[in-house]
Amino acid sequence: MVISPVHYIVAPLLAAFAIPLLTKLYKDAARVVPGIVLFYNVIISFVLMQQVSQTGMISEVIAGWRPPWGINLVLTPFTAFLATMVSVLGFIIWLYGFRFKRTLKGGVVKHYEILQMMMVAGSIGVIITGDLFNMFVFIEIVGITAYSLTAFYRERNVAEAGFKYLLIGSLASTFLLLAILIIYTQTGTLNMAQIAERMAFVPQTMKITALIFFLIALGIEAEMFPLNGWAPDAYEQAPSPTSATFAAVVSIAGVYALVRVLFTLFDVSGVHNYLIVMGFVTMLIAEIAAIAQKNLKRMLAYSSIGQVGLVLIAFGIGSKLAVFGAIFLMLNHAVIKSLLFMTGSYFIYNADDKRLVGLNGMHKQLPYVSALFSLAAFAIVGFPPFSGFWSKFYILISASDQKMMYLIIGILLVTIIELVYYLRAVGRIYFAKEEMEAVAHKPSINALVAMSLLAIFIIVVGVYPDIITGYLNDAASALLDKAHYIQQILGSK
Amino acid sequence: MKKYIIFILIAIVGWSLATTFKAIPFGADRRGDLNNPDKVAAYYLKESPETLQTANSITAIVVNFRGFDTLGEVTVLFLAATGLASILYRKEDDEEEKEASKKDVERVRLPSSSLVRTGAKILFPLILLLGIYVFVHGHLTPGGGFQGGAIIATGFLLMLITYKHFETNHNVMVWLESLAGLAFVAVGLYGLFVYGSFLQNTHSVGTLNDLISGGLIPLIYIFIGIKVGTELTNILDILLKIKKS
Repeated sequence: MVISPVHYIVAPLLAAFAIPLLTKLYKDAARVVPGIVLFYNVIISFVLMQQVSQTGMISEVIAGWRPPWGINLVLTPFTAFLATMVSVLGFIIWLYGFRFKRTLKGGVVKHYEILQMMMVAGSIGVIITGDLFNMFVFIEIVGITAYSLTAFYRERNVAEAGFKYLLIGSLASTFLLLAILIIYTQTGTLNMAQIAERMAFVPQTMKITALIFFLIALGIEAEMFPLNGWAPDAYEQAPSPTSATFAAVVSIAGVYALVRVLFTLFDVSGVHNYLIVMGFVTMLIAEIAAIAQKNLKRMLAYSSIGQVGLVLIAFGIGSKLAVFGAIFLMLNHAVIKSLLFMTGSYFIYNADDKRLVGLNGMHKQLPYVSALFSLAAFAIVGFPPFSGFWSKFYILISASDQKMMYLIIGILLVTIIELVYYLRAVGRIYFAKEEMEAVAHKPSINALVAMSLLAIFIIVVGVYPDIITGYLNDAASALLDKAHYIQQILGSK
Repeated sequence: MKKYIIFILIAIVGWSLATTFKAIPFGADRRGDLNNPDKVAAYYLKESPETLQTANSITAIVVNFRGFDTLGEVTVLFLAATGLASILYRKEDDEEEKEASKKDVERVRLPSSSLVRTGAKILFPLILLLGIYVFVHGHLTPGGGFQGGAIIATGFLLMLITYKHFETNHNVMVWLESLAGLAFVAVGLYGLFVYGSFLQNTHSVGTLNDLISGGLIPLIYIFIGIKVGTELTNILDILLKIKKS
């Protein structure tokens, strides 16, 4: 049997439909099966990424209709890299949350695990599809799972966060659908390569309306200012593995969708400057908001938005080095932010006080978790021995290549803000006076393994970035080489 | 003040939308030459009777050309039902407590009149029959799996709001729903293994306008019909079971 990209979607779907039956036979199936499926996705990711880097782009035809007539899945070095990243993190987050709510009775665990698995699968779908409407369908899948998981706990604030997310997310879907409709009426096709080819013949007014709709819709998904009002609430109220998934998987898919639409579909100049400006505003406001937060998860949520802002800036600069840095930062953000959410949730879980004050003196009770949290905090700010340093470094270099000195100053200033609030949290853990009794909940072994894997990655890539720069380089060239993308998909007619 | 700003913004958005959409000739025939298709619409209209032997070209598009999207939409519905179940989850759903709380669940506050009850009893099988007809003939006449499934769910809704103690058999529902979903994916995998492309249709597609035509299309639509019907029924069941507290 040959491994094909369609397995990414089919395996989770089979599992999701089968889990209600399997739980009747074996009680723990709901917790075990998603792990097997996500691990399978990790394996095929690596096989396919290897295949892509050796033989070039894979275009998988669905239902036997060649593009542009049918739907196709595309694995370029860029999408293959992101799909691998999302699969690996999806699996690690599953591992972390394996014992999540073990004490609860059957029903809820089943629903939680199905939704969590499909959120990862949907994000992979967004990344690998080569069809605009198919992307919409996968964004819907991610959206539905994300709303439900946000509203998972039964509390007033949780319901509010879930409802807010639902409203804004539905707005995004509506705008996305309108944008796709406009594009379809003008080009008569939904295949992204063919749309890109025909975009030159679309009247300017149509193009701009569609572009604005895309920016609104995908800006909401990618947490771009001012469309990210849902994000802090959703991150704060969702179960912790879900918050990690939002940061590591969902926001990556959102940014990917935005970038794919802007870089491949449209050839409008000025969008890049818009990305830089909006990215910077997003970053600045989010980081300033983060410093004012009293709740740890909310602080991390604002920090996530800030990171996405920096990613958008880097994509906006648009040179190959900048795109390289942007993809590197997406990877770092996904890995480090999930580690922060994973470790952070143990502090919140154990503290009597859910605010930052609750972190005081935690290192005595949770030494290992505290060390990992601090490592991640230093890494995300960009201290040199960790992987976070390299992405920021490359983005700054690319900005200086483009003579954008104000941007560099801005990014560095924002980094100082970032440094302040992360150091404040770390300082509380290590140096503040202890105000609480013994810890009741030690991290379970599976969670420790998951967190350690991420920490090892941060250090290894930080010390020896060459192990992934090759893939990142290919990914950046693949995104920028639009003509090759079109020719590879449509050329094989 | 805030109100006026909002009105002005909405007006600007509305105006720009109107000007854009005015320029799109909706309803006009823009598909181009069928024999030398340039847009997907023309290609679909040409290929669905010729290659797929499917009289209803919309069905051909939904189930075959863009079958992957449909699988995604079925999944969206499935996830919506799952999400709803997880949000509206009640402790009483656990087996032990189920029996104890059965009396508390009051679905209908007022008893329905005997006219309604008798009418519902007569209509229920007919509605089910119509639903099944709609999805079995999805490749021949307007309608299909989603529509047929929705009609079936309407029948169950009628029973649920008419009878205080009408219970859908939860076990049967779960089995039907899961098996229908698995069968859809299995048909897709059959295409992948036998013809090399996920969801690919068989080569023996039958004759146009026959009940057995379109290859795997009617089969997939039957699975979708069952899945949508059971899922919507489940959603209604969950929603109607919310206790007044």
